[in-house]
Amino acid sequence: MIQSRKMKSPLSFPPLWLIAAAVASPWSPIRAESINYDEHIKPIVRQHCLKCHGDDKQKADLNLQNYGAALKGGSGGDTLIAGRSSQSILFQSITDPDEDLRMPPNKPPIPKEQIEMIQQWIDSGLRESSESLSMLKERDTSFKPAAAADGNRPETPAMPDNWPDLERPGTENPLPVLAMDTSAWAPLVAVADQEQVKLINTETGDLLGRLPFPEGVPNVIRFSRDGSVLMVAGGRPVESGKVVLYDVKSGERLTSVGDEVDAVLAADLSPNQKLIALGGSGKVVKVYSTVDGALQYKLEKHTDWITSLAFSPDGKTLASADRAGGLHLWNAESGGIVLSLLEHKQSIRAVDWRPDSKILASVAEDGKAVWWDVSDGFPAYNKSDIHAPKRPKGTYGKIPNGVLAARFSPAGYLATTGRDMTVQIWSPDGKLEKKIPVEGGLPLSTAMAFDQSCVITGTVSGEVLFQRDVIEK
Amino acid sequence: MKRTTALSLRLVQAIAAFAILLSSHSIGAGETPGFRRDIMPILFRAGCNTGTCHGAAKGKDGFMLSLFGYDPKGDYYRIVNEMPGRRLNPAAPDQSLLLKKATGEVPHTGGELFTRDSEFYDEIRDWIAAGAPDDESDIPEPVGLELSPERFVFEDKTTEGQLKVTALYDDGSKRDVTSLARFHSNNASVIEIDEDGRIAPSGNGDSHVFARFNRFTIGAEVIVLPPAEDFTWSNPPADNYIDEIVFDRLEKLRINPSELCDDETFLRRITLDLAARPPTPDEYHAFIADPSPKKREAKIEELLGHDSFADLWTAIWSEQLRIVGGNYAPVGTYIKAADTYQEWIRKQFRDGRPLNEFVADMVVASGSNIQNGPVNLYTMLSHEPKLNPKGFAADFSQVFLGIQIQCAECHNHPFDRWTMDDYYGFVSFFTGVTRKPGVESREKRIYYDTKAAPAKHLLDERPVPAKTLGAVEPVSTKGDPRRELAKWLTSGENEHFSRNLANRIWAQLLGKGVVTPVDDMRVSNPPVNGPLLDALSEHLVASGFDLRSLVREICNSRVYQLSSQPNATNKMDTRQFSRAYMRRLRPEIIMDSVVAITGQQRNFSGFPSGIKAIEHYPRTGGATSGPHFGDTFFETFGRSSRATVSSTELKLEPTLSQALHMSVGDTVQPRLSANGRLKKLVEKSASPAEALEELFILTLSRKPTPFENEGLVELIGEESKNIDVYEDIFWSLLNSTEFSFNQ
Repeated sequence: MIQSRKMKSPLSFPPLWLIAAAVASPWSPIRAESINYDEHIKPIVRQHCLKCHGDDKQKADLNLQNYGAALKGGSGGDTLIAGRSSQSILFQSITDPDEDLRMPPNKPPIPKEQIEMIQQWIDSGLRESSESLSMLKERDTSFKPAAAADGNRPETPAMPDNWPDLERPGTENPLPVLAMDTSAWAPLVAVADQEQVKLINTETGDLLGRLPFPEGVPNVIRFSRDGSVLMVAGGRPVESGKVVLYDVKSGERLTSVGDEVDAVLAADLSPNQKLIALGGSGKVVKVYSTVDGALQYKLEKHTDWITSLAFSPDGKTLASADRAGGLHLWNAESGGIVLSLLEHKQSIRAVDWRPDSKILASVAEDGKAVWWDVSDGFPAYNKSDIHAPKRPKGTYGKIPNGVLAARFSPAGYLATTGRDMTVQIWSPDGKLEKKIPVEGGLPLSTAMAFDQSCVITGTVSGEVLFQRDVIEK
Repeated sequence: MKRTTALSLRLVQAIAAFAILLSSHSIGAGETPGFRRDIMPILFRAGCNTGTCHGAAKGKDGFMLSLFGYDPKGDYYRIVNEMPGRRLNPAAPDQSLLLKKATGEVPHTGGELFTRDSEFYDEIRDWIAAGAPDDESDIPEPVGLELSPERFVFEDKTTEGQLKVTALYDDGSKRDVTSLARFHSNNASVIEIDEDGRIAPSGNGDSHVFARFNRFTIGAEVIVLPPAEDFTWSNPPADNYIDEIVFDRLEKLRINPSELCDDETFLRRITLDLAARPPTPDEYHAFIADPSPKKREAKIEELLGHDSFADLWTAIWSEQLRIVGGNYAPVGTYIKAADTYQEWIRKQFRDGRPLNEFVADMVVASGSNIQNGPVNLYTMLSHEPKLNPKGFAADFSQVFLGIQIQCAECHNHPFDRWTMDDYYGFVSFFTGVTRKPGVESREKRIYYDTKAAPAKHLLDERPVPAKTLGAVEPVSTKGDPRRELAKWLTSGENEHFSRNLANRIWAQLLGKGVVTPVDDMRVSNPPVNGPLLDALSEHLVASGFDLRSLVREICNSRVYQLSSQPNATNKMDTRQFSRAYMRRLRPEIIMDSVVAITGQQRNFSGFPSGIKAIEHYPRTGGATSGPHFGDTFFETFGRSSRATVSSTELKLEPTLSQALHMSVGDTVQPRLSANGRLKKLVEKSASPAEALEELFILTLSRKPTPFENEGLVELIGEESKNIDVYEDIFWSLLNSTEFSFNQ
């Protein structure tokens, strides 16, 4: 993804190195920023498209013969979206894997170099000529830690204090660590176990206590923003599901909502602790009041199982994701739709907000991680294949490359895990900082300690791993 | 001493073998069940991966398994790794959704498949408790199945039977998989089979029951006999080995064949079958008057020598190979090309070209579609602007092998032996077939691009080099692989090829194949008489793939010459050839018969006047890919539309619109008194009875029965020279069922 950070003045000279490169070798690759319709794209569409989509004939009402008409698009919808080749019908139709649907019809595909040229042209902002400006708007996605701190540090961050003893569950094997979360204010991580939640000190690794979750298997664990309340959601598959709130200090059950017929797969507690959103195989997101347990509203736009839910830290927005790649933003108060974020093609495994509420991250089984600028729903950073395993020798075809978990730290860093058996740390502006191999099975869940002193990863074989000194201070 | 050692060694071997047999599917104490060895078979037996459940293309209720387990690796991923914690719970295995669904403890569309106290439950549970391991590559591969008994004969309907299924593995071991196999019956009105392989007869007849395990299907023949006391074998004489085999089968089934048909019936039958027209009155009189006991043999010989025999077989192959002439340039199915192709085929049949060479010429053909007839296999069989190797391979196999391999594009064939590897290996023979424009407009040149990439396997996108069906190793990669394909395909050792041709020839002459439909040969659709198909196929190979030789054998058999009149024992038989089955004539033959009898020709648009219907093939002004009948008469009478290669495109069932067309359409009515032929016939006759006799012989190749004669003479009465009366009678005869059927 090319991100135009600084706009070039049309009058300024091209950078010196570009002139040098152009003189030195006519074969050097063209910079994406200089690709434009007149010089680069017109010859390609002339060769492949204009017979049916030109001034003479406009199949599907599409005319690509001049820049203005091309931007207007055809009857099929968004032909060209600046910065979003994956969502532009023009790009989709020339790369369609189905030979019967691919453009141009009944012909071999357009050569790879030309497709790449078109892709870069779209992603760099659909310039008309070498003199034109990019159509990408300038965006400020920088992270300001101050924004995260306005949650006000509690005077004494909650830690388990004198919890009643609880036997460890008599299981045959450890439960895969399906869920975990860290407190934003204390050295505390909560980890899923069979019908229980374990709390562990992130500095010492000591087990601090166990909470009963007789409802079944915890699929989601979340601390409240102030760290005083722990939300646990889950249940028994195709039997029952619930969301339960606990007081972190005393270990007491505060309340529970939901009476689901299947385990809850996705849930979140609003920052003011007044709302709980939950979802699962029912494809419906339900939002309950924690005050009286009443259903506030339902979101019925999803077409597949709900896999992840997250309230923005400023409490204004609710993000919901599903197993088919659907991702929507809602007004957290009213349940009105705000934006639909189209990019993922497979099950979204996690969505999480950067603590400043400006960026939402989503990761999916399609191998992608996207940092969304929620002001307009544009993918500010879009990374593919970030957790693709190395291909074993002599094998072909797709190998599962999904991203399995993602969680921001209070400082805006993102931890992700995936099917390549690594945990990765990303800077607030989407740069890879660290890649750490995980031993002991598929890493299913991750979180960073409140002070970023360590990243914690939970594996399918039930291990909880602590990696220290991953972020340079 | 030595002897004792040998003995004890043998004893040890015996015990070992016994132990292997006993090991069955129950796991010894402490042994961890493996996914492929133990869990996959349970999913198969319980029906989880059938096409209506999780084996559907997109799965069911969000959970997908490969159909009948063709993709163990993918199934393992989906059960264990796709959504960790959802389907399996290693911490509390009994809480696993997989088990709770299967036992119906939680809502499950598929209901309860096994109970909590079953062996299946224990095995899956133990497997989950052991961490749900995958046993890829450390287990023996199944290589086949054995069924015992291989054949059941029930004397009455009160006894029952039990099938036992044994799986054979590549390490030489065996395993009783009766409790893991799935069973079905081909005909529940003869035999019923339950899920445990117990069979119970339900009606007289013969059928097959099948067991499936892993990717294999195996069948056992079942015969349910009528009471012995009601039956005396008529012991008809056998004229050749065909009779011996068919009669042997009939005697076992307690069915007596019908009598030999009379000379009138024989003459009409053989002339329609070999010359695609009814016998002329002259031929009729000569044949009936011939006193020779060998006159049937001589007639067969005479008809085999005529060009019309070649014309008929040209029409049959033209239909099978989807010849349609058009004007749509990208495909190469230009009318000139179609003509070249059709004429090339006709020449092969006139010259008596061995069928295997005839086919091989097409398979390896290269060059211009207009110059080189056989190359049009690659334009006509698919009729697509760009040859699609997958579709082409499937059609190719259906036509030349009678095998439908297209199922294996997406999964191993569930009811046959063909795997996805077979399929993609076969497709790779055609990935290099390329068309480029020729010199003339609409000319295409077919050549093989040896640099073309082989087909990619659907599951793992691995390239699968060209490989013949059932082979393990790919063919040599040097040059055009179609040469290797043709060599394998048309070799006398390739039973699939010779059986397919023999079966199609038999079906042409008897109205029904030994395997039906003729282009769906598979393990689960076995021949109704295996030795018969073997013998026909062997004869075809031994004769050097000589069409006329096999036709001669069949037509000289008593079986071919049986009457269609049933007796008490065979009136229910519709598949064992105990009598002649009534056959509707092909549309082209009905038209040519009307023309031959009335003497008034029929023209076909775009063809020179005077051509016979049997020489006609569809032409169109446009694209050739869709259904094309060439003439509305053909469409009405069910000619193959040539839109696909399927044998079911030709529809020989009578319909109302056919009856209406014959009675009031423009085919019969205007021809009745054309040419003055009828008038001449009436005037020549000394009496109404004589005129009637000639009219019957002309139209139906037989004399009227005394009953018909009496009634019609009375009807004619005083009007003995009134042509209108005879026209009405002529009309009735041409509209009779007898006319449009071969009986």
